[in-house]
Amino acid sequence: MIRWLVVIAVIFFAGAAASAPADKARGAKIYIQRCLMCHGEDGDGGGPGAKRLNPPPRDFTEALYKFKTTGTDEPVPNDDDILRMIRDGMPGTAMPGWKDILSEQDIIDLVLYLKIFAEIEEEKPEEQIDYGTEIASSPESIAAGDKLFHEGERCSECHGRDGRGDAVKRLKDDSGARTWPRNLTKPWTYRVSTQPRDIYRRITTGITGTQMPSFADPKSKKKLSIEERWQVANYVASLAASGQPVRAENTVIKAARIVGALPAKPGDAAWDGAERTTFFLLPQIIAKPRFFTPSNDTITARALYNDDEIAFLIEWDDRTKSIPGDADAAKIAEPDMGPDAVAVQLPIEPADGSEKPYFIWGDATHPVNLWKWQSGTTKAPETVEVMTARGLGNVDKRANGGVSATGIYDNGIWRVIMKRARATADAGKDLQFREGEFIPIAFSAWDGSNGENDRSHTLTTWYWLQLKPEAGAKPLLAGILTALILAGLLIWWARTAKARPESGA
Amino acid sequence: MRIPKLLQAVLVLAAVYFGFIILFDVVLDQVIPASLLAMYMFFTFAGVFMVFTFTDAGARELVAPIRSLVEDPSRRGLRNIVFVVLPLAAGWYSFDQMSPSFEAPVELRSIHPAPPSRLKAYGKNFDIINMNNPFRRLEKENPGEFRKLVQEGAAVYIQNCHFCHGDKLDGKGPYAEALNPVPANFQDVGTIAQLQESYLFWRIASGGPGLPKEAAPWISSMPVWKDFLSEEEIWKVILFLYDYTGQRPRSFGGGDHD
Ligand code: HEC
Ligand code: HEC
Repeated sequence: MIRWLVVIAVIFFAGAAASAPADKARGAKIYIQRCLMCHGEDGDGGGPGAKRLNPPPRDFTEALYKFKTTGTDEPVPNDDDILRMIRDGMPGTAMPGWKDILSEQDIIDLVLYLKIFAEIEEEKPEEQIDYGTEIASSPESIAAGDKLFHEGERCSECHGRDGRGDAVKRLKDDSGARTWPRNLTKPWTYRVSTQPRDIYRRITTGITGTQMPSFADPKSKKKLSIEERWQVANYVASLAASGQPVRAENTVIKAARIVGALPAKPGDAAWDGAERTTFFLLPQIIAKPRFFTPSNDTITARALYNDDEIAFLIEWDDRTKSIPGDADAAKIAEPDMGPDAVAVQLPIEPADGSEKPYFIWGDATHPVNLWKWQSGTTKAPETVEVMTARGLGNVDKRANGGVSATGIYDNGIWRVIMKRARATADAGKDLQFREGEFIPIAFSAWDGSNGENDRSHTLTTWYWLQLKPEAGAKPLLAGILTALILAGLLIWWARTAKARPESGA
Repeated sequence: MRIPKLLQAVLVLAAVYFGFIILFDVVLDQVIPASLLAMYMFFTFAGVFMVFTFTDAGARELVAPIRSLVEDPSRRGLRNIVFVVLPLAAGWYSFDQMSPSFEAPVELRSIHPAPPSRLKAYGKNFDIINMNNPFRRLEKENPGEFRKLVQEGAAVYIQNCHFCHGDKLDGKGPYAEALNPVPANFQDVGTIAQLQESYLFWRIASGGPGLPKEAAPWISSMPVWKDFLSEEEIWKVILFLYDYTGQRPRSFGGGDHD
C-alpha cells in the first residue's frame, strides 16, 4: 500500500516538475483546434458558435477576465485564474472544463496564447486579493451575512430577497448582451464554486465586464469590510446548499394518497406529504423554430390524490413575473412580453408496453393531453386550457377540459396547482388516472419576459407519474406467513432427523 | 486443500451472477434488467444442480454440510441461528415482493438499429448501404481543401450540435443532463468508430423520429436535421466528427477503400 502511494507520489511530482515554460506555438495549435469555434480566430469572442450562446464566449482582446483573484483595481488576472477556468470549465455556460482531454502543459501553453491576444503576456499582476482571516461558517456568521445581504438591498436588489436572481433591473454586460444576476440557490450555475472562499473573491472583485460590482471598493456606498465579506460569503454558500437539487435517478413523481379534499392553495401544509421531484428543463432546440436562450432551467413537481381527484403542485424558479400590460414588468422584459406559462403533458393512453407518444406534443397515432396554465395579463385573469395534440402542428383546444388551475408568484418562484377528476366521461379523449400504473409525464414552461411563447420555451423529456397505491396489510401478512411456514418446516426437519437412528455425522 | 462441494456450487453460482452483471455493465454498458438476470440464474442453478448431483456420492457430498448442521448435536448453536435467520429473510423477501413497486419500468432500446436500405431526403433517394461521403476522397487528393471542409463542418457542429453532444464531442453538452436517452458520445470507441459514414448520414438526416420502433423513436430528442441542414452540411459535419475525435469511419467492402 505504502509502496503504491510512493510510486503515485513520484509520478505526480515528476509530472508537475515536467511542465516546461509556456510554448506559444503549441498554444496556438490547440487554440485553433479546440477554442476557435467559440472564441474566434482573433480571440475576440466572435467564433461561428458565438451567435447562439448566452453568456457569449469571452473576448480575450480586452483581457476582461471575469473570475480572477487579483485585486479589485488590478486589470491583469493571475495565470492560475485563467488556467483554472480552462481546466475546470464554467458551469451554467457553454464553456466546458478541458482537463479530461488537455494536459496541464497544454493549458499552460493556452494561457500564454490567450494573454497574447491582449498583449498582456509580459505583465505581472501586482495587487492580490486580501483575504484577512477567513471566518468559518456558523449560524451566527450566516445570520450576520443575511442581514448585510439585505441591508439597503445591497445584494437583494439584483439577486432577489431569497437569492433566486429575480430581477428588478434590466442588466447588460459590457458587450451589450443580456445578463441575469445569478440564482444563488442553484449550486450548478456557479461559474467557479460554492465554496465561501470563491464567493468571497467574487464579492471582493466583482465580476469584470458585468454589473456585479466589487464590494471592496472604498468609493462604494455599499462597501463591506473583510470580515463582513466573509459573513456574506457564508450566507451565500448556505443559500447554495438550500436549493432543490436534480437527482438523475429520480424519474418518478410519486403521487401520495390522502383522505378528504385536495389542497386548493400552493402553501397548504398537505403538500408536505408529497415527495418533490425535480427535473432539468431544456430549451426547445429540436423542432423549428429552435430556441437557444432559455432562462428557466429546472422544474419541480409534486402530486396528491384521493378517491376522485388528482392535483399537481408545479414549482419553478422564474426571474420575472410576466404580466403583459404592466409597465414595471415591461421594463425588465424583452420586447413583446407574453404571460408566463406551464404545461403538463400526459399521453391519452398510458404507455402500452413501452410505446409512448413522441415526447414533444405527441404524434398522429399517439395523441397527448396538454394542460396549459397561463399567468394572465393586467386585463385578463389567469387561464387554463386543455388541449389534445397529435404533433406540433396539430393541436386542438377543448372547450371544457375539466382542469382547474391557480398560480402564485413569490420572489422568483412560480407555484401552480392543477387539478382534475381522476376519471372522466370520455376515456378516448382524456387520460384516466389509475392507482399503481406508471404514466408517462412531461412538462413545459414559458418565461414570457424572455421572449418565450408558442414553440420558444423549455421542456422536459418523458418521466413517470405513479399514483402510489396503498399497500394495505397484505405484504406484511404474507411476510409473516412465509416466515412461520419456513420456521415450522425447519423445526420439523430437525426433529425427524434426530429421531432417525443412522443419523450423526 | 479440497473445497467442499457445497461451497464449490455456491462459488460457481456467484461467479456466474457477477459475471452477468459485469458483462452487461462493462461490455454492453447497460444495467441488466432484473427479470433477465432471474431467468439466466434459474437456468444456471438448474445446470449446476444437475452436474453436482449426477452421481449418488456427489449428491450426498453436496448436502453433507447441510445434513450435519441439522443433525449433528454439537452444532446446535449455529443451527438455531440459521433457523431464526432463514425464516426471517424469507419473510422479508416475500414482504418486499408483495409491496407495491415504485421502480420505474426499464426501457430497453437498441442504440444502433439496422438502417433501412433507402433514405428519402432532399427530393432524392439515398442508397444507405452503398453510398460514401462524397468529400472523403479529398483527404488524400486535396488535403488543403479537405481541411477547409472540416472547418466548415466544425461551424455546423458548434452552431447546432454542441448543445447536447458537447464542445468536446463527449456527449456532455450544456443540456445533456436534461435528456433521456443521453446524447451519443463520439469520443467513445463504441459509437462512430463502429459505423459507416452513410449510417451517420441516415441518423443525422432523419433524427429521432426516423428511428425504427426497436430504437424507441418517441424518446429520442435528436432533431430531424434534413429540415435544418443541407446535404453538404451533413457530410461536412460528419468529416468533423471523425477529424476531431481521431476516429476512423468503419468501411465494409462497398467501394469505400481507405
Ligand atoms: C462552446 C463554446 C466554447 C468553447 C469551444 C470554448 N469556450 Fe471558453 N468560454 C465560452 C463561454 C460562453 C465563456 C463565457 C462564460 C461566462 O462569461 O460566464 C467562455 C469563457 C472562457 C474564459 C474566461 C474565464 C474568465 O474568468 O473570464 C476562458 C479563459 C476561456 N473561455 C478559455 C477557453 C479555451 C482555452 C478554450 C479551448 C480549449 C475554450 N475556452 C473553448 C465558450 C467556449
Ligand atoms: C447590480 C446588480 C448586482 C448586485 C447589487 C450584486 N450582484 Fe452578484 N451578480 C450580478 C450579476 C449580473 C451576476 C452574474 C455575472 C455573470 O457571471 O455574468 C452576479 C453573480 C454573482 C455570483 C456568482 C459567482 C459565480 O461563481 O458564479 C455571486 C456569488 C454573487 N453575484 C454574489 C453577490 C453578493 C453576495 C452581492 C452583495 C454583496 C451581490 N452579488 C450583489 C449582479 C449583482
